[in-house]
Amino acid sequence: MSLRRSFPLVVLVAFLALAAPWASRAQQQQQGAGGATDVWMNVTGGGTKKLNIAVPEFTIVSGTDSTGMGKLIASVTGGDLTFSGLFSVVAGTGAIPANNPALLEQSWREFAAAGAHAGLHGLLALRGDRLEGEMRLYDLVTPEHRLIATKKFELPNGQARRLAHKIADEVVLQFTGEQGIADTKIAYVLGPRGAKEITIADYDGAGPAPVTRNGSINLTPVWSPDARSLAYTSYKQGYPDLYRTFPFERRPDQTLAAFIGINTSPAFSPDGKSLALTLSKDGNPEIYVLTLATGTMRRLTRNAGIDTEPTWSPTGRQLAFISDRNGAPNVFVMDAEGTSVRQLTSGGFHTQPRWSPKGDSLVYTVRQSVHDLWIVNVDGSNPRRLTNGTGDSEGATWAPNGRHLAFQSNRTGRWQIFAMLVDGSAPEPITRGPGEATSPSWSPRLP
Amino acid sequence: MLTRCSHLAFSLLLVAAVALSGCAKRPATTQAAAPAPTGAATSTAAAPAGGSQQMQSGEGTRGGTATPAPTTTARPAVQDFASVADLTDVFFDFDKYDIRPTDAKTLDANASWLKSNPNHLVLIEGHCDERGTNEYNLALGERRAKSTMNYLVSQGVQANRITIISYGEERPQCTEHTESCWAKNRRAHFLVKPR
Repeated sequence: MSLRRSFPLVVLVAFLALAAPWASRAQQQQQGAGGATDVWMNVTGGGTKKLNIAVPEFTIVSGTDSTGMGKLIASVTGGDLTFSGLFSVVAGTGAIPANNPALLEQSWREFAAAGAHAGLHGLLALRGDRLEGEMRLYDLVTPEHRLIATKKFELPNGQARRLAHKIADEVVLQFTGEQGIADTKIAYVLGPRGAKEITIADYDGAGPAPVTRNGSINLTPVWSPDARSLAYTSYKQGYPDLYRTFPFERRPDQTLAAFIGINTSPAFSPDGKSLALTLSKDGNPEIYVLTLATGTMRRLTRNAGIDTEPTWSPTGRQLAFISDRNGAPNVFVMDAEGTSVRQLTSGGFHTQPRWSPKGDSLVYTVRQSVHDLWIVNVDGSNPRRLTNGTGDSEGATWAPNGRHLAFQSNRTGRWQIFAMLVDGSAPEPITRGPGEATSPSWSPRLP
Repeated sequence: MLTRCSHLAFSLLLVAAVALSGCAKRPATTQAAAPAPTGAATSTAAAPAGGSQQMQSGEGTRGGTATPAPTTTARPAVQDFASVADLTDVFFDFDKYDIRPTDAKTLDANASWLKSNPNHLVLIEGHCDERGTNEYNLALGERRAKSTMNYLVSQGVQANRITIISYGEERPQCTEHTESCWAKNRRAHFLVKPR
């Protein structure tokens, strides 16, 4: 199963429209005036304007590339750029020789003739325990194939894929004004019912590694805003309690909540200081906010029905949640003090709301004959379906840039994690290994 | 020499995620569940609404660190409970947690057995079918266990003999994707252990 797909050639009109601001951006950057708000490409949806970028094999400038790292990194970076929905990758065979301006220029001429608008030349130095990478970004639209950006990265040896992701994120930054999301992880639940463990993998599904190994039932991992920890529900002590684990550190789990009843549905506040959660200790499932530094618990909902699945607005001033107080579960919104409650969606079996990182919309799951993902504006207007009823699609999680969603679907016959653009286009499988993968949580950009 | 790249080789799993290596950790929990403060009388029953449960913030914090206090109330160990043939499951309609009339008769019988066996504690498991989403089903299973418990209490079973647990959709007893199977999974199940 390939994560990648083919793209049509971008029409000339599109690239001419892009060329001018792109050139001026490079000048701005040289003057140190490159603004983060400048947007040079359409980044709001599936879009039609794709930039053709040449990503030849990286050039080895030091050390011996016995494992084909130059090829791997170009492939991974190219995959990231394709995934972004902004680029169409033009690949070449063989690496451009080091320190040979004439051959470099000849390569760019050939790539430009093949339709490339930009060229990414990567240079790799393999120095024992260190991996040094440099990206050089060229404008192939200008006749002189001008160098528009360079950046160096240094990582421990063995992190070739991460280097590739960082370079891809930098390329996206150069063209859109916003860093890409390739240097992120996805946490999810792996395993059949009754034996579910938390796993994390790169955002593209590579390198899955177990986080829990307790042989119990572990559910709903959720990243903290610093991408250093996950909150999750586990039955490892017999009851559904909430824990926090630190997957990149040798550090024991913390118990966050272990009251009588359910301790579920963790959601870190955007500042990382609080955790919204669901407890039933006071009689039925209600939403609380735990202040992590002090352990103080504040109750937000008071209702005889089920209130659960809190999700914070990016400002931290509001929470959405689901409640069956008026019948079937629907999405509600309240402020962070639990007041000003309003019903956002109606009529449905609506669960799993997740507030978008930009704050303007919420994605949620609608159960009809199957489960599908829908999105609604924050004022409740324009609810629209994102998935098309092919199997069930549930449990969406936002990429940190708000352009992609990951979710679980059984459309291929078993539960796997998929990703798509926020307009519902380009769904692709993320997990490819054996077993049932559910309940994804997309990490913030890694520290 | 140039080829349009339609499929980038993504199957190379070289050196995947070294960031993770060395940290595939055992789920060690140092902050073991703190015992309930002495005098917390009923250790098992879910408190009636109003919150008589202990939730003292900060209490139980170790060494003044910034880690949150483990907010724990003592509960009997789940693994000590066992099913008993005398207690029969009750079942629920889709997305419902009210006790159906036929199941009330079952619960009457269960209540009688429990009253004649006062030395047994009971654990009520609340379960859901696979439809609906994970978190909601955990809440729904909780409501099913709770309404079952409330019914038993109304029939004279002491609340402090009863503990409830929700498994949501995580422990189906029937795994086919059919209505007859789903109906079997929307249930409350009973386990007991001697006091």
